Amino acid sequence: MLSFANHDVNVMVTDGNDTNIRGDVVALSNGMKLDAVNTDGGVIKDKNKYIDSLSPLLPVGFYYKAFHKPASLFPFWEKVIRKAAGLGVVNFNYPRITKRKLNQHCDLLVIGAGPSGLSAALAAASEGLEVVLVDENRSLGGSLNYDYAGSDASRKILEELQAKVAATANIHVYLDAYAAGYYADHMVPVVTANGITRVRAKAVIVATGVFEQPPVFHNNDLPGVMLGSAAQRLINRYAVKPFNKGVVVTANAQGYRVALDLLNAGAKVAALVDMRAEGQRDDLVGELVRKGVKIYPASCVYEAVPTRDKLGVQGAVICPFDEATGQADPGKSVNIECDGIAMSAGWAPAAALLYQSGIGMGYSNEIQQFVPNRLPAGIFAAGRVNGVYCLQQRANDGMRAAAEVLRYLGKSAPQVTVEKHQGPSPSHPYPFVEHPKGKNFVDFDEDIQIKDFINAAKEGFDNIELMKRFTTVGMGPSQGKHSNMNAIRILAKIRNLPVEKIGTTTARPFFHPTPFGHLGGRSFHSHRLTSIHAWHESAGAFFVDVGAWSRPAYYQKPGKSKQQLVLEEAQAVRQSAGIIDGGTLGKIEVCGPDAALFLERFYTGKFADQKVGTTRYALLLDESGVIVDDGIASRLADELFYLTISTSNAAAVYREMQRWLQIWQLNVGLVNVTGAYGLINVAGPAAREIVGKLVSIDLSDAAFPMGAACETEVLGVPVRLVRVGFVANLAYEIHMPSAHGLNFWQALLEAGASHGIRPFGTDTQRLLRLEIGHHMPGYDTDGLTNPYEVGAESALAMDKPFFIGQRSLKIISKKKLAKILVPFVLPQEYSGEMPQDCNLVIDGSAIKGRVTSISASPAAKRIIGLAYVDPAKDKPGSVFDIRTDNGSIVKATVVETPFFNAD
Amino acid sequence: MTTPQTAMIRKTPVAYAQQALKPKMGELHGMEVALEFEGANVENARKQLLGVTDVSCFQRFSVKGPQAAAWLAGKGMNTPAAINSWDEAAPGTMILRLGGSEFLLEDQYSGDTCPGLAKDFKQADVPGVYKVQRADAAFILSGSEALDLLSELCMLDLRDSALSGNAVVMTQIAGISATLLRQTLNGQQVYRIWCDGTYGPYLWDMLTEVAQELGGGAVGLSCHFKK
Repeated sequence: MLSFANHDVNVMVTDGNDTNIRGDVVALSNGMKLDAVNTDGGVIKDKNKYIDSLSPLLPVGFYYKAFHKPASLFPFWEKVIRKAAGLGVVNFNYPRITKRKLNQHCDLLVIGAGPSGLSAALAAASEGLEVVLVDENRSLGGSLNYDYAGSDASRKILEELQAKVAATANIHVYLDAYAAGYYADHMVPVVTANGITRVRAKAVIVATGVFEQPPVFHNNDLPGVMLGSAAQRLINRYAVKPFNKGVVVTANAQGYRVALDLLNAGAKVAALVDMRAEGQRDDLVGELVRKGVKIYPASCVYEAVPTRDKLGVQGAVICPFDEATGQADPGKSVNIECDGIAMSAGWAPAAALLYQSGIGMGYSNEIQQFVPNRLPAGIFAAGRVNGVYCLQQRANDGMRAAAEVLRYLGKSAPQVTVEKHQGPSPSHPYPFVEHPKGKNFVDFDEDIQIKDFINAAKEGFDNIELMKRFTTVGMGPSQGKHSNMNAIRILAKIRNLPVEKIGTTTARPFFHPTPFGHLGGRSFHSHRLTSIHAWHESAGAFFVDVGAWSRPAYYQKPGKSKQQLVLEEAQAVRQSAGIIDGGTLGKIEVCGPDAALFLERFYTGKFADQKVGTTRYALLLDESGVIVDDGIASRLADELFYLTISTSNAAAVYREMQRWLQIWQLNVGLVNVTGAYGLINVAGPAAREIVGKLVSIDLSDAAFPMGAACETEVLGVPVRLVRVGFVANLAYEIHMPSAHGLNFWQALLEAGASHGIRPFGTDTQRLLRLEIGHHMPGYDTDGLTNPYEVGAESALAMDKPFFIGQRSLKIISKKKLAKILVPFVLPQEYSGEMPQDCNLVIDGSAIKGRVTSISASPAAKRIIGLAYVDPAKDKPGSVFDIRTDNGSIVKATVVETPFFNAD
Repeated sequence: MTTPQTAMIRKTPVAYAQQALKPKMGELHGMEVALEFEGANVENARKQLLGVTDVSCFQRFSVKGPQAAAWLAGKGMNTPAAINSWDEAAPGTMILRLGGSEFLLEDQYSGDTCPGLAKDFKQADVPGVYKVQRADAAFILSGSEALDLLSELCMLDLRDSALSGNAVVMTQIAGISATLLRQTLNGQQVYRIWCDGTYGPYLWDMLTEVAQELGGGAVGLSCHFKK
């Protein structure tokens, strides 16, 4: 146990599914069954103890060099290393435990409820701000909860502050919660056991305090060696005496306060060892001397003496320490019997959130600490993280920060003066004691000693970020909270540079390990359903996701394969009639005087001369000439076009329309009616007769030919009727208010019952349109396909003044095509390996293209498909090779479409 | 040609999500609606704590375009002056101004303005006004814990201090586009939510899932409107 502050790696435990529990801060509760994480035998029966004797042979970075060759053995070594270094065992049966992720808004978020944070929160709340106050501890107060120096003065201050907060309605307190990161616009996720609350504040005060830093000496990893603040927490939070007879080693006033708390708890303090040449010069010294504590100024703990079983401390070797050179003089050492050592060498700012907010930090030589010197708008620092140490001044600094927040939010506030730090530095610039036997640990998670840094620098890793990665300092569970600052100090010494020239490592969110269940939260998998969905489900539909929609791919029947069912559904369409729910298609109305002009610019074709009551193919490109989407434009009135767009592109195309309308500033209204209209497509030779039962208009070829569109009534409901030919030569789309979808579906099924009408899904639809010879954007095109490559020249009105992508097409058209999409068939009786979508078209060893669609066609009575081939092979009768999944080569022959005689 | 003997009843957009709850169904304005789920006592308690009610059956009419505000005013409708705000267009009918030039009118339980406007509207006769066909899923979210529920599903600040009395918020709820406002209904402050009807089953599921966790759940239309 090192810190008792939520950063102790050696006390991580698992309780059932709850793993990596921090044993230094999590209270025991009834029913817990705790197992230690990452040990093999525990401290007493550690099976890996032998590594201790091997450690001289295992310098930092050894496995980077030792195990990467031969490569064939690396998986073995990786397994061994991961087992030795890993944290726990992955539970593949981990249940899904979702936690709530909430959103909260406030005027001011105060992070840290120590003296500064409490003062800031109270000052801001008294001016009417809504304040959220977050602290990772179980009670308010920060160091006021444990740093007493043998007196109850701090306790009284705390009680007063706690009472004031409790009486202030506009302070919302989160305890046992950590602010996990800083994100743009002052968004800070606050993590509790129950989930995450994303707090968005108008301003943030970071009063996160500091992490106590240990001095470094031989055997400083023994049980019984702990931070001074850890000893204080044990005494004053948990009423546990940390040692019977302890030694305090310090380099600031804090060690003296620790010693007084130890004495007050009934422990003996065998010695107070002060590493500073000047020692301490205030009342604390006199008080300790009066209580019989021997003080060793200008001295250090040279080594901790282990008990015989190495499970504790039995003494401390103390010797003179030259602060200027950092050298100990073991020739003048003194052995002091003790059972524990408390360490207080200084502090490192808990500034991760400040760094993430984009703060600038400078190094203060007065207090030997990085402190903020440039703060982003709306971010404020207060207290020890801001370099203010005196208790009264910490409170003042909180009020000063609150006043700045008020002014930032446009309110008036008085100036609050904070006195600069007086007296000796609270942190030592170099609290390291070298020892010939090493084992003077800088990073207790990763077992990194002083010599490891020296070796890393010798190997060229003498930049703090490189050194971090080579030594792994700060990469353990405590994330460098006790080691990063010491690593920076060591590197500064090695390079003979001031600390500020070394800089700091990057602080990334999350500040503290957070369970995936918290991060995941509740699942929001939004999806859209047509009004016919329940019917599809009851009819056995096998659903697939298409964009945000759930669509039937085909309708399952017992004892029949997917392939059989798709063929049956397709045959129904070819022989009589089929019906498909097309409500998922995008539908957009383009209205207004400039509607035709808008479409002329947006799509590749011509629409200005399109007659009311007709449809036209609409091909959309991007500005580089790549195919984006296609659909049908129905002109329902002079100033009203009704566009259909492919299901998965609807939202993107509508956004593009809005964007271009903003640019072109035409007199057009765009209405996205995708969800407002249902769409049912009735296709097949019997379609006219079936639909004719429900409409009063003449559906004959003469009156309502291919490409016709009109507004009419079906079943007394206004609808839009379009004659289409995507999946069959005779097909009608009925567009009705979506709430009527199921009524229409059932009416059409009833009308077609005598014809054997059958519902079909998207898999069948793909086959049907393939038989007709239609390509589908997204299936038969990719993110680079231009219209020339799919033979869509007839859809390009290059003589128009402008359309999106036209300029690029003019350039592309002058270049030789690299590939072209062709319809093909396999030999009539082909029975070999079935080629699949995306199988390569090859010529010898050269890749010439790929299959984009392929299927057995009941109508064509053979295997048909579309594929990109060498343009030299685009003529009917050309033969090309397809390489199947098993490597066999299949000969395919280019043909003309449609693949069957549709008449 | 087949003609229906009676007007066809429309399905509420959330019918699929509600079917497992087996609500007692009724009809309002030609649309099926869940009147009751678990009885008046349970639902009255939910209404006070956290209740979700489907009111997709309310009649709506929507127009957009540069002349939309003028056309509505010409029809005697009171239109909100401020963008993203709502008001009473006519007795029993609320009007939401969605952006600068789009309006959604919704007849409340007792209102009957929208059918008349729909009947009067002839696209060709009103340049600069475009009818917006709608098929909203619409909900009432009631109870003391409504804000707690919304704090999980919506990132925006919806506290009383942030959401002015007649503000209309177009935002994302549970990851989908939705419109939200606060309204007083029978003396109770409630939130109203509209989304595209095709997302209705999903949003109903999300609202009721969270509501149940917080002690609430589905509430039928009868609980709010006794008649």
